[in-house]
Amino acid sequence: MERYSLGIDKLDENIQGIRSGYNIMIIGPPMSGKETIINNIVYQGLNDGEAAVIVTTREPGEDVLEWFNYNNLEISLEHLGIVDCVTKTLGVPTSDTANIRRASSPVDLTGIGVKISQFLEEFWMKKNIRKTRLCINSLSTILMYSNIQTVFRFLHVFTGRVKTAGAIGIYLVEEGMHDPQAVATLKQLFDGVIEIKEENDVHYIRTMGLSQKPSKWYEYTVEGAKIVLKDGE
Amino acid sequence: MVETGIPKLDEYLKGGIPRGKTLVYLNHPGVEGDVFGMQTLYHNLQKGAVCVYVTSSSNPGTMKDQFKEFGWNVHQFEDTLLIIDAYSSLIGALSNENFVVSDPENIGNMTEMIDKAMKEVPKGSIIMLGSLSTIMDLCGEEDTLKAVKIWNKLALLRDHVIIYNFTTWPYEESTLNSIKTELFNSVITVGGIAERVIFGQYFGVLKADWSDTKIKSMLFRVLRPGGIKIYIPKILVTGPFNAGKSSFIHSLSNRAVSVDRLGTTIALDHGHIEYKGFSAEIFGTPGQERFDPIIQMISGEAMGIFLVVDSTLPKDFIRAKQMLEITKGYGLPYVIIANKQDLPGALHVDEIRSHFNIPEDVPIIPTIATSKEGVFEAFDVLVEKITGGN
Ligand SMILES: Nc1nc2c(ncn2[C@@H]2O[C@H](COP(=O)(O)OP(=O)(O)OP(=O)(O)O)[C@@H](O)[C@H]2O)c(=O)[nH]1
Ligand SMILES: [Mg+2]
Repeated sequence: MERYSLGIDKLDENIQGIRSGYNIMIIGPPMSGKETIINNIVYQGLNDGEAAVIVTTREPGEDVLEWFNYNNLEISLEHLGIVDCVTKTLGVPTSDTANIRRASSPVDLTGIGVKISQFLEEFWMKKNIRKTRLCINSLSTILMYSNIQTVFRFLHVFTGRVKTAGAIGIYLVEEGMHDPQAVATLKQLFDGVIEIKEENDVHYIRTMGLSQKPSKWYEYTVEGAKIVLKDGE
Repeated sequence: MVETGIPKLDEYLKGGIPRGKTLVYLNHPGVEGDVFGMQTLYHNLQKGAVCVYVTSSSNPGTMKDQFKEFGWNVHQFEDTLLIIDAYSSLIGALSNENFVVSDPENIGNMTEMIDKAMKEVPKGSIIMLGSLSTIMDLCGEEDTLKAVKIWNKLALLRDHVIIYNFTTWPYEESTLNSIKTELFNSVITVGGIAERVIFGQYFGVLKADWSDTKIKSMLFRVLRPGGIKIYIPKILVTGPFNAGKSSFIHSLSNRAVSVDRLGTTIALDHGHIEYKGFSAEIFGTPGQERFDPIIQMISGEAMGIFLVVDSTLPKDFIRAKQMLEITKGYGLPYVIIANKQDLPGALHVDEIRSHFNIPEDVPIIPTIATSKEGVFEAFDVLVEKITGGN
């Protein structure tokens, strides 16, 4: 069976590879570097020769590409697909590019779904890539515009698609933005969680459901484009 | 009748949607079902119809821009395309449209606007709901189903046609059932063929209460520009050595390649055809007997066959019938191409039929492949056999 790695050394040692078909929630407080974590996960995938599909709800697709550029991280554009849910809401006239397809808004779950499926098909059928990671950044924005049942139905379909495609799915959630009941409802759809917490201005990260026991809490810092973990508690 | 503008679909619906009736496109998540609604809207705007479009998941400007990638400009229909804006209020934006749903989470509000718009447009207009599922997401399943019944009645009173787009997210079983069976006069499913990923798309008529057509599903492709095209992934061209198979394929195709050596095909020919709402891949076999194993290999999963013969060479007709057997063509729709009609001694269609001893309903089409004569007629006939109602 295929395994995936996160690209975050101590967590990967602990997990020994994420099983294909897994859907994982990343949840943590604002300003904790979640964005950098997710970009690292994408970068690792591309480096491993996999494909990645990023659904971006907070910044235009071009800005996602720019992050890699700015940090001098070379990526294979052939393997990257971005579903941009932002640009069209800004009323800027743009068209799709080879890497960026634009949904009409974060409310347009139908359109987002079509574009995810198109990238999955393209990677699997045309480019013969057998491993893909789907990253949704973030579920929180989608939850701002659609109620929890709606988002649940959407995720029910796409976590299922991730499973059948043998991909992995990573879904980012802002802690404290939603009522805990909603987060608990969504958690039913996920196989594991990457949790982030902040105590006295220090950030910690751990995984749950990805290895036999939850991992330790690791203190970490964001250094440029990198996530640096210290030894765990 | 209001035509859908989707190739083949209007035929299946016996001309289109009668005034006062409703149609829903049931789109599986992830397939490009929304293009069906867009193509129907554009088709009717072009024919001069007045259309009301309810947008609930994008702002009106973005909605209109989305037509562009298919080569359709709806901005030119400012006077005949009216918008009910059920999106802007949702994100707290202002709207310039005449009909604005001020609270998209209140279904009564939506009904009010739909009623108002229906009264303002001429009888027999078209109302399109951009995304009924989004409305359902916002207003709840039960209330939305009730409202749909009201909208359908209002439309009937004024002879309007309502067309709905609905994404089949995993709603309650009872909700989906009522949508599939009782709520609408006609139901078109748009689905995906999936294995590890969705790699093919099809549509089919689930129901149309004014016609009794029960049809198999049709594969389709979405072209940008172009929109929905019926997709035929494999048509086979076979026939004896030197009959004109490669010439026939090249005449029919927008682009084609042949693997030939010294003027004879040694592996296969492949052509791609875009013609009259159809998109097809056509594969030609070699003709020489020494390639029979290859012919068998190429033939799998064909949807129809052209059997090309040289009309001046009746001695080769036995070989032609043999090739139909090798390709398992007898079970499939097939058409005989009576080629090289320009040469002296070319037999007539009737003479060829008597040589072949085949049923009357097998079409024989006279052609001159080198000058394209008859080749598109032959394509029409075969495609009609492949996609026909029965
Ligand atoms: N006069 C005339 N010549 C034709 C016609 N169709 C094909 N030819 C000629 O017949 C010869 C054979 O044509 P091809 O298209 O290569 O035949 P083919 O069936 O692919 O032949 P193989 O692959 O060798 O079996 C060529 O010289 C063509 O130019 C036609 O309708 N009229
Ligand atoms: Mg040939």
